[in-house]
Amino acid sequence: MAADTAKSLFRKGVWGENPVFRQILGICSALAVTNLMTNTFIMGVSLIFVTAMSNATVSALRRITPGRIRMMVQVLIIASYVMIVDIVLKAYLPEISEALGPYVGLIITNCIIMGRCEGYARNNPVWLSFLDGIASGTGYALVLLVIAFVRELLGFGTVFGHPVMPSWWVPWTIMVMAPAGFFMLGLFIWVAYQFEKPEEKKAPR
Amino acid sequence: MKERLFSVLFMFVLALAFTSVVGGVNWVSQERIRLNEETKLQRIVLSVLDLLPAESAGKQEMQLAFQRRIRPLSLGDRTLYVALDQDGTQVLGYAFPISGPGFWGPIYGMIAVDAQVQKILGIAFYRHSETPGLGGRITEAWFRDQFRGKELQVPGPGMRFFYLKPAGTSAAPNELDGITGATETSRRLEAFLDQELKRTIPLLLEQRKLGKI
Repeated sequence: MAADTAKSLFRKGVWGENPVFRQILGICSALAVTNLMTNTFIMGVSLIFVTAMSNATVSALRRITPGRIRMMVQVLIIASYVMIVDIVLKAYLPEISEALGPYVGLIITNCIIMGRCEGYARNNPVWLSFLDGIASGTGYALVLLVIAFVRELLGFGTVFGHPVMPSWWVPWTIMVMAPAGFFMLGLFIWVAYQFEKPEEKKAPR
Repeated sequence: MKERLFSVLFMFVLALAFTSVVGGVNWVSQERIRLNEETKLQRIVLSVLDLLPAESAGKQEMQLAFQRRIRPLSLGDRTLYVALDQDGTQVLGYAFPISGPGFWGPIYGMIAVDAQVQKILGIAFYRHSETPGLGGRITEAWFRDQFRGKELQVPGPGMRFFYLKPAGTSAAPNELDGITGATETSRRLEAFLDQELKRTIPLLLEQRKLGKI
Protein backbone atom coordinates (compact mmCIF):
# COMPACT_ATOMS: atom_id res chain seq x y z
CA MET A 1 0.00 0.00 0.00
CA ALA A 2 1.35 3.39 -0.94
CA ALA A 3 2.11 5.60 2.00
CA ASP A 4 -1.01 7.38 3.17
CA THR A 5 -1.07 11.09 3.76
CA ALA A 6 -3.46 12.92 6.00
CA LYS A 7 -5.22 14.21 2.89
CA SER A 8 -5.68 10.84 1.28
CA LEU A 9 -6.89 9.36 4.55
CA PHE A 10 -9.54 12.03 4.89
CA ARG A 11 -10.60 11.75 1.27
CA LYS A 12 -11.11 8.04 1.77
CA GLY A 13 -12.72 8.24 5.19
CA VAL A 14 -15.18 10.98 4.31
CA TRP A 15 -16.01 10.05 0.72
CA GLY A 16 -14.21 7.27 -1.14
CA GLU A 17 -14.50 4.66 1.58
CA ASN A 18 -17.06 6.36 3.75
CA PRO A 19 -18.02 3.82 6.40
CA VAL A 20 -21.74 4.51 6.25
CA PHE A 21 -22.70 4.83 2.60
CA ARG A 22 -19.81 2.94 0.98
CA GLN A 23 -19.15 0.16 3.41
CA ILE A 24 -22.63 0.21 4.99
CA LEU A 25 -21.08 -0.07 8.44
CA GLY A 26 -22.41 1.36 11.65
CA ILE A 27 -25.90 1.80 10.27
CA CYS A 28 -27.56 0.52 13.45
CA SER A 29 -26.77 3.80 15.15
CA ALA A 30 -27.31 5.69 11.90
CA LEU A 31 -30.93 4.67 12.29
CA ALA A 32 -31.19 5.11 16.05
CA VAL A 33 -29.68 8.51 16.76
CA THR A 34 -30.55 10.49 13.67
CA ASN A 35 -33.89 11.98 14.63
CA LEU A 36 -32.40 14.90 16.56
CA MET A 37 -29.33 16.77 15.37
CA THR A 38 -27.95 17.56 18.82
CA ASN A 39 -27.87 13.88 19.77
CA THR A 40 -26.37 13.02 16.41
CA PHE A 41 -23.65 15.61 16.81
CA ILE A 42 -22.53 14.42 20.25
CA MET A 43 -22.72 10.84 19.07
CA GLY A 44 -20.51 11.73 16.11
CA VAL A 45 -17.93 13.49 18.28
CA SER A 46 -17.86 10.56 20.73
CA LEU A 47 -17.43 8.13 17.88
CA ILE A 48 -14.59 10.15 16.35
CA PHE A 49 -12.81 10.12 19.71
CA VAL A 50 -13.30 6.40 20.29
CA THR A 51 -12.32 5.41 16.75
CA ALA A 52 -9.20 7.57 16.76
CA MET A 53 -8.03 6.46 20.21
CA SER A 54 -8.80 2.79 19.64
CA ASN A 55 -7.02 2.90 16.31
CA ALA A 56 -3.97 4.53 17.87
CA THR A 57 -3.87 2.02 20.71
CA VAL A 58 -4.36 -1.02 18.52
CA SER A 59 -1.63 0.32 16.26
CA ALA A 60 0.74 0.93 19.16
CA LEU A 61 0.29 -2.64 20.31
CA ARG A 62 0.28 -4.15 16.82
CA ARG A 63 3.76 -5.66 16.99
CA ILE A 64 3.29 -7.49 20.27
CA THR A 65 -0.38 -8.49 20.03
CA PRO A 66 -0.66 -12.24 19.32
CA GLY A 67 -2.65 -12.68 16.09
CA ARG A 68 -5.13 -15.17 17.43
CA ILE A 69 -6.36 -13.01 20.29
CA ARG A 70 -6.31 -9.68 18.46
CA MET A 71 -10.11 -9.44 18.31
CA MET A 72 -10.38 -9.83 22.07
CA VAL A 73 -7.74 -7.20 22.51
CA GLN A 74 -9.56 -4.81 20.18
CA VAL A 75 -12.87 -5.28 21.94
CA LEU A 76 -11.19 -4.64 25.29
CA ILE A 77 -9.58 -1.46 24.02
CA ILE A 78 -12.75 -0.15 22.38
CA ALA A 79 -14.90 -0.95 25.41
CA SER A 80 -12.46 0.84 27.70
CA TYR A 81 -12.56 4.03 25.65
CA VAL A 82 -16.32 3.96 25.39
CA MET A 83 -16.63 3.59 29.15
CA ILE A 84 -14.28 6.51 29.63
CA VAL A 85 -16.38 8.65 27.27
CA ASP A 86 -19.51 7.61 29.13
CA ILE A 87 -18.06 8.48 32.54
CA VAL A 88 -16.63 11.79 31.37
CA LEU A 89 -19.94 12.82 29.79
CA LYS A 90 -21.75 11.92 33.01
CA ALA A 91 -19.33 13.90 35.14
CA TYR A 92 -18.81 17.00 33.03
CA LEU A 93 -21.72 17.21 30.60
CA PRO A 94 -24.61 15.66 32.54
CA GLU A 95 -27.32 17.17 30.32
CA ILE A 96 -25.85 15.73 27.16
CA SER A 97 -25.21 12.40 28.80
CA GLU A 98 -28.87 12.46 29.76
CA ALA A 99 -30.01 13.16 26.23
CA LEU A 100 -27.95 10.37 24.70
CA GLY A 101 -28.86 7.82 27.32
CA PRO A 102 -28.02 4.30 26.19
CA TYR A 103 -26.57 5.34 22.83
CA VAL A 104 -23.13 6.13 24.23
CA GLY A 105 -22.72 2.61 25.53
CA LEU A 106 -23.82 1.33 22.15
CA ILE A 107 -20.76 2.88 20.50
CA ILE A 108 -18.98 -0.30 21.58
CA THR A 109 -21.03 -2.29 19.10
CA ASN A 110 -20.40 0.13 16.25
CA CYS A 111 -18.79 -1.92 13.50
CA ILE A 112 -16.87 1.05 12.12
CA ILE A 113 -14.48 1.08 15.05
CA MET A 114 -13.60 -2.57 14.90
CA GLY A 115 -13.57 -2.37 11.12
CA ARG A 116 -10.92 0.35 11.21
CA CYS A 117 -8.88 -1.41 13.91
CA GLU A 118 -8.92 -4.64 11.97
CA GLY A 119 -8.66 -3.14 8.49
CA TYR A 120 -6.20 -0.35 9.07
CA ALA A 121 -4.67 0.16 12.50
CA ARG A 122 -3.45 -3.43 12.73
CA ASN A 123 -0.96 -2.84 9.90
CA ASN A 124 -0.16 0.85 10.07
CA PRO A 125 1.79 3.27 12.25
CA VAL A 126 0.22 5.02 15.21
CA TRP A 127 -0.10 8.55 13.84
CA LEU A 128 -1.66 7.47 10.54
CA SER A 129 -4.02 5.12 12.37
CA PHE A 130 -5.07 7.95 14.62
CA LEU A 131 -5.80 10.15 11.58
CA ASP A 132 -7.61 7.30 9.87
CA GLY A 133 -9.83 6.98 12.94
CA ILE A 134 -10.64 10.68 12.84
CA ALA A 135 -11.32 10.53 9.11
CA SER A 136 -13.65 7.54 9.32
CA GLY A 137 -15.40 8.98 12.36
CA THR A 138 -15.88 12.26 10.51
CA GLY A 139 -17.29 10.42 7.52
CA TYR A 140 -19.76 8.72 9.81
CA ALA A 141 -20.67 11.91 11.66
CA LEU A 142 -21.23 13.92 8.48
CA VAL A 143 -23.53 11.36 6.88
CA LEU A 144 -25.50 11.07 10.10
CA LEU A 145 -25.80 14.82 10.42
CA VAL A 146 -27.19 15.10 6.87
CA ILE A 147 -29.73 12.37 7.60
CA ALA A 148 -30.57 13.91 10.98
CA PHE A 149 -31.00 17.32 9.37
CA VAL A 150 -33.71 16.04 7.04
CA ARG A 151 -35.36 13.88 9.70
CA GLU A 152 -35.43 16.61 12.32
CA LEU A 153 -36.55 19.26 9.82
CA LEU A 154 -39.45 17.22 8.51
CA GLY A 155 -40.21 15.33 11.72
CA PHE A 156 -40.12 18.22 14.18
CA GLY A 157 -39.80 21.33 12.02
CA THR A 158 -36.60 22.26 13.87
CA VAL A 159 -32.84 22.36 13.28
CA PHE A 160 -30.65 21.71 16.34
CA GLY A 161 -33.81 22.32 18.36
CA HIS A 162 -34.55 25.75 16.86
CA PRO A 163 -37.92 25.97 15.15
CA VAL A 164 -37.43 26.90 11.48
CA MET A 165 -40.57 25.69 9.76
CA PRO A 166 -43.58 27.99 9.39
CA SER A 167 -46.34 27.56 11.95
CA TRP A 168 -48.68 25.76 9.52
CA TRP A 169 -46.12 23.00 9.12
CA VAL A 170 -47.46 19.57 10.13
CA PRO A 171 -44.57 17.41 11.36
CA TRP A 172 -44.17 14.05 9.63
CA THR A 173 -44.27 11.59 12.49
CA ILE A 174 -42.84 8.86 10.27
CA MET A 175 -39.59 10.84 10.04
CA VAL A 176 -39.06 10.51 13.78
CA MET A 177 -39.48 6.77 13.74
CA ALA A 178 -36.88 4.17 12.77
CA PRO A 179 -38.23 3.35 9.27
CA ALA A 180 -37.46 6.91 8.15
CA GLY A 181 -33.82 6.18 9.00
CA PHE A 182 -33.86 3.41 6.41
CA PHE A 183 -35.56 5.59 3.80
CA MET A 184 -33.13 8.42 4.33
CA LEU A 185 -30.09 6.17 4.29
CA GLY A 186 -31.27 4.55 1.07
CA LEU A 187 -31.91 7.91 -0.55
CA PHE A 188 -28.56 9.18 0.66
CA ILE A 189 -26.68 6.27 -0.90
CA TRP A 190 -28.56 6.75 -4.17
CA VAL A 191 -27.79 10.46 -4.31
CA ALA A 192 -24.18 9.89 -3.29
CA TYR A 193 -23.67 7.45 -6.16
CA GLN A 194 -25.16 9.93 -8.61
CA PHE A 195 -22.41 12.37 -7.70
CA GLU A 196 -19.72 9.89 -8.52
CA LYS A 197 -17.40 10.55 -11.43
CA PRO A 198 -18.52 8.64 -14.54
CA GLU A 199 -15.26 6.67 -14.86
CA GLU A 200 -15.56 5.48 -11.29
CA LYS A 201 -19.11 4.43 -11.94
CA LYS A 202 -18.09 2.10 -14.75
CA ALA A 203 -15.54 0.35 -12.63
CA PRO A 204 -16.86 -2.99 -11.38
CA ARG A 205 -17.34 -3.17 -7.67
CA MET B 1 2.58 -23.86 24.08
CA LYS B 2 4.79 -20.92 24.70
CA GLU B 3 2.73 -18.80 22.33
CA ARG B 4 -0.47 -19.72 24.12
CA LEU B 5 0.97 -18.85 27.49
CA PHE B 6 2.07 -15.50 26.12
CA SER B 7 -1.42 -14.87 24.72
CA VAL B 8 -3.01 -15.52 28.10
CA LEU B 9 -0.48 -13.39 29.87
CA PHE B 10 -0.78 -10.60 27.31
CA MET B 11 -4.55 -10.51 27.60
CA PHE B 12 -4.32 -10.58 31.37
CA VAL B 13 -1.89 -7.71 31.60
CA LEU B 14 -3.79 -5.67 29.04
CA ALA B 15 -7.12 -6.26 30.77
CA LEU B 16 -5.54 -5.28 34.07
CA ALA B 17 -4.09 -2.11 32.60
CA PHE B 18 -7.30 -1.02 30.88
CA THR B 19 -9.62 -1.82 33.75
CA SER B 20 -7.28 0.10 36.04
CA VAL B 21 -7.46 3.14 33.77
CA VAL B 22 -11.25 2.95 33.47
CA GLY B 23 -11.52 2.32 37.20
CA GLY B 24 -9.26 5.27 37.86
CA VAL B 25 -11.29 7.61 35.66
CA ASN B 26 -14.43 6.36 37.35
CA TRP B 27 -12.97 6.86 40.80
CA VAL B 28 -11.84 10.38 40.00
CA SER B 29 -15.24 11.33 38.56
CA GLN B 30 -17.39 9.48 41.08
CA GLU B 31 -17.85 12.40 43.41
CA ARG B 32 -18.72 14.73 40.55
CA ILE B 33 -21.22 12.28 39.12
CA ARG B 34 -22.83 11.81 42.53
CA LEU B 35 -23.04 15.56 43.04
CA ASN B 36 -24.49 16.01 39.55
CA GLU B 37 -27.15 13.44 40.32
CA GLU B 38 -27.90 14.99 43.67
CA THR B 39 -28.20 18.43 42.10
CA LYS B 40 -30.46 17.05 39.44
CA LEU B 41 -32.69 15.40 42.02
CA GLN B 42 -32.87 18.58 44.08
CA ARG B 43 -33.78 20.57 41.00
CA ILE B 44 -36.51 18.08 40.13
CA VAL B 45 -37.94 18.15 43.65
CA LEU B 46 -38.01 21.95 43.68
CA SER B 47 -39.46 22.16 40.19
CA VAL B 48 -42.37 19.77 40.80
CA LEU B 49 -43.17 21.69 43.99
CA ASP B 50 -42.98 24.95 42.03
CA LEU B 51 -40.29 26.26 44.37
CA LEU B 52 -37.47 26.57 41.86
CA PRO B 53 -36.09 30.13 42.21
CA ALA B 54 -36.01 30.42 38.41
CA GLU B 55 -35.67 27.98 35.56
CA SER B 56 -32.21 29.39 34.96
CA ALA B 57 -31.25 29.53 38.64
CA GLY B 58 -27.63 28.75 39.36
CA LYS B 59 -26.56 25.65 41.21
CA GLN B 60 -25.83 27.43 44.46
CA GLU B 61 -29.06 29.37 44.55
CA MET B 62 -30.93 26.17 43.87
CA GLN B 63 -29.10 24.23 46.58
CA LEU B 64 -29.75 26.98 49.07
CA ALA B 65 -33.45 26.92 48.27
CA PHE B 66 -33.46 23.17 48.68
CA GLN B 67 -31.79 23.34 52.09
CA ARG B 68 -34.12 26.00 53.35
CA ARG B 69 -37.42 24.79 52.03
CA ILE B 70 -37.23 21.01 51.75
CA ARG B 71 -37.16 18.48 54.56
CA PRO B 72 -36.53 14.90 53.42
CA LEU B 73 -38.39 12.22 55.38
CA SER B 74 -39.09 8.62 54.64
CA LEU B 75 -42.49 7.29 53.77
CA GLY B 76 -42.73 3.53 53.54
CA ASP B 77 -39.96 2.49 51.19
CA ARG B 78 -39.32 5.87 49.60
CA THR B 79 -38.16 9.37 50.39
CA LEU B 80 -40.79 11.98 50.99
CA TYR B 81 -39.76 15.56 50.42
CA VAL B 82 -41.75 17.92 52.58
CA ALA B 83 -41.89 21.46 51.28
CA LEU B 84 -42.08 24.28 53.81
CA ASP B 85 -42.98 27.94 53.40
CA GLN B 86 -40.51 30.81 53.73
CA ASP B 87 -40.45 30.68 57.55
CA GLY B 88 -40.11 26.93 57.61
CA THR B 89 -43.25 26.39 59.70
CA GLN B 90 -46.12 25.71 57.32
CA VAL B 91 -46.18 22.67 55.07
CA LEU B 92 -46.78 23.63 51.44
CA GLY B 93 -46.79 20.21 49.88
CA TYR B 94 -45.13 16.86 49.47
CA ALA B 95 -43.03 15.40 46.70
CA PHE B 96 -42.17 11.76 46.26
CA PRO B 97 -40.46 9.68 43.58
CA ILE B 98 -42.42 7.41 41.27
CA SER B 99 -41.15 4.80 38.85
CA GLY B 100 -42.33 1.96 36.67
CA PRO B 101 -41.85 0.21 33.36
CA GLY B 102 -42.08 2.28 30.19
CA PHE B 103 -41.95 0.95 26.64
CA TRP B 104 -38.18 0.53 26.32
CA GLY B 105 -37.12 0.60 29.95
CA PRO B 106 -37.97 1.93 33.37
CA ILE B 107 -39.23 5.48 33.77
CA TYR B 108 -38.30 7.47 36.88
CA GLY B 109 -40.18 10.53 37.91
CA MET B 110 -41.20 12.78 40.75
CA ILE B 111 -44.66 13.96 41.67
CA ALA B 112 -45.76 16.66 44.09
CA VAL B 113 -49.09 17.07 45.88
CA ASP B 114 -50.38 19.95 47.96
CA ALA B 115 -50.44 20.03 51.77
CA GLN B 116 -54.01 18.68 51.93
CA VAL B 117 -53.13 15.88 49.49
CA GLN B 118 -56.04 16.98 47.32
CA LYS B 119 -54.40 18.02 44.11
CA ILE B 120 -51.25 17.57 42.11
CA LEU B 121 -48.75 20.41 42.14
CA GLY B 122 -46.49 19.06 39.45
CA ILE B 123 -44.89 16.03 37.88
CA ALA B 124 -41.58 15.42 36.15
CA PHE B 125 -39.77 12.49 34.60
CA TYR B 126 -36.04 12.53 34.96
CA ARG B 127 -34.81 9.20 33.67
CA HIS B 128 -36.27 7.08 30.89
CA SER B 129 -35.32 5.39 27.65
CA GLU B 130 -38.42 6.12 25.57
CA THR B 131 -38.11 6.96 21.87
CA PRO B 132 -36.84 10.54 21.49
CA GLY B 133 -39.58 12.69 20.00
CA LEU B 134 -42.33 10.17 20.72
CA GLY B 135 -42.48 8.53 24.17
CA GLY B 136 -39.62 10.80 25.15
CA ARG B 137 -42.07 13.69 25.06
CA ILE B 138 -43.24 12.79 28.57
CA THR B 139 -40.52 15.19 29.73
CA GLU B 140 -41.95 18.11 27.74
CA ALA B 141 -43.74 20.94 29.49
CA TRP B 142 -47.08 20.59 27.66
CA PHE B 143 -47.38 17.01 28.87
CA ARG B 144 -46.28 17.65 32.45
CA ASP B 145 -48.30 20.84 32.84
CA GLN B 146 -51.54 18.96 32.25
CA PHE B 147 -51.10 17.39 35.67
CA ARG B 148 -50.86 20.71 37.48
CA GLY B 149 -53.85 21.34 39.70
CA LYS B 150 -55.51 18.02 38.89
CA GLU B 151 -57.74 16.84 41.74
CA LEU B 152 -56.55 13.75 43.54
CA GLN B 153 -59.61 11.66 44.25
CA VAL B 154 -59.08 8.15 45.46
CA PRO B 155 -60.80 6.19 42.67
CA GLY B 156 -63.47 3.55 43.19
CA PRO B 157 -62.62 -0.12 42.88
CA GLY B 158 -61.34 -1.07 39.43
CA MET B 159 -60.84 2.55 38.52
CA ARG B 160 -57.69 4.57 38.11
CA PHE B 161 -56.59 7.92 39.44
CA PHE B 162 -55.94 9.22 35.95
CA TYR B 163 -56.51 8.13 32.38
CA LEU B 164 -54.38 9.10 29.40
CA LYS B 165 -56.69 9.55 26.43
CA PRO B 166 -55.72 9.97 22.76
CA ALA B 167 -54.43 13.51 22.34
CA GLY B 168 -57.16 16.11 22.26
CA THR B 169 -59.94 13.87 23.53
CA SER B 170 -59.48 14.21 27.27
CA ALA B 171 -62.55 15.76 28.86
CA ALA B 172 -63.30 14.48 32.36
CA PRO B 173 -61.29 15.83 35.32
CA ASN B 174 -59.45 12.53 35.66
CA GLU B 175 -58.46 12.43 31.99
CA LEU B 176 -55.31 13.75 30.36
CA ASP B 177 -53.95 13.87 26.83
CA GLY B 178 -51.69 10.98 25.96
CA ILE B 179 -48.89 11.24 23.43
CA THR B 180 -49.64 10.74 19.75
CA GLY B 181 -47.48 8.01 18.29
CA ALA B 182 -46.50 6.73 21.72
CA THR B 183 -49.51 4.68 22.69
CA GLU B 184 -47.45 2.13 24.58
CA THR B 185 -45.59 4.71 26.62
CA SER B 186 -48.88 6.43 27.47
CA ARG B 187 -50.53 3.16 28.42
CA ARG B 188 -47.69 2.02 30.67
CA LEU B 189 -47.27 5.43 32.23
CA GLU B 190 -50.96 5.50 33.08
CA ALA B 191 -50.65 2.06 34.72
CA PHE B 192 -47.60 2.68 36.86
CA LEU B 193 -48.60 6.19 37.83
CA ASP B 194 -51.83 4.74 39.13
CA GLN B 195 -50.05 1.97 41.01
CA GLU B 196 -47.65 4.38 42.63
CA LEU B 197 -50.40 6.79 43.62
CA LYS B 198 -52.50 3.98 45.08
CA ARG B 199 -49.55 2.84 47.11
CA THR B 200 -48.46 6.22 48.35
CA ILE B 201 -51.48 8.49 48.68
CA PRO B 202 -53.31 6.44 51.37
CA LEU B 203 -50.05 6.11 53.29
CA LEU B 204 -49.46 9.83 53.03
CA LEU B 205 -52.98 10.63 54.20
CA GLU B 206 -52.66 8.25 57.14
CA GLN B 207 -49.29 9.65 58.24
CA ARG B 208 -50.68 13.12 57.92
CA LYS B 209 -53.64 12.26 60.14
CA LEU B 210 -51.27 10.86 62.75
CA GLY B 211 -49.47 14.17 62.65
CA LYS B 212 -46.19 12.54 61.81
CA ILE B 213 -45.44 14.64 58.77
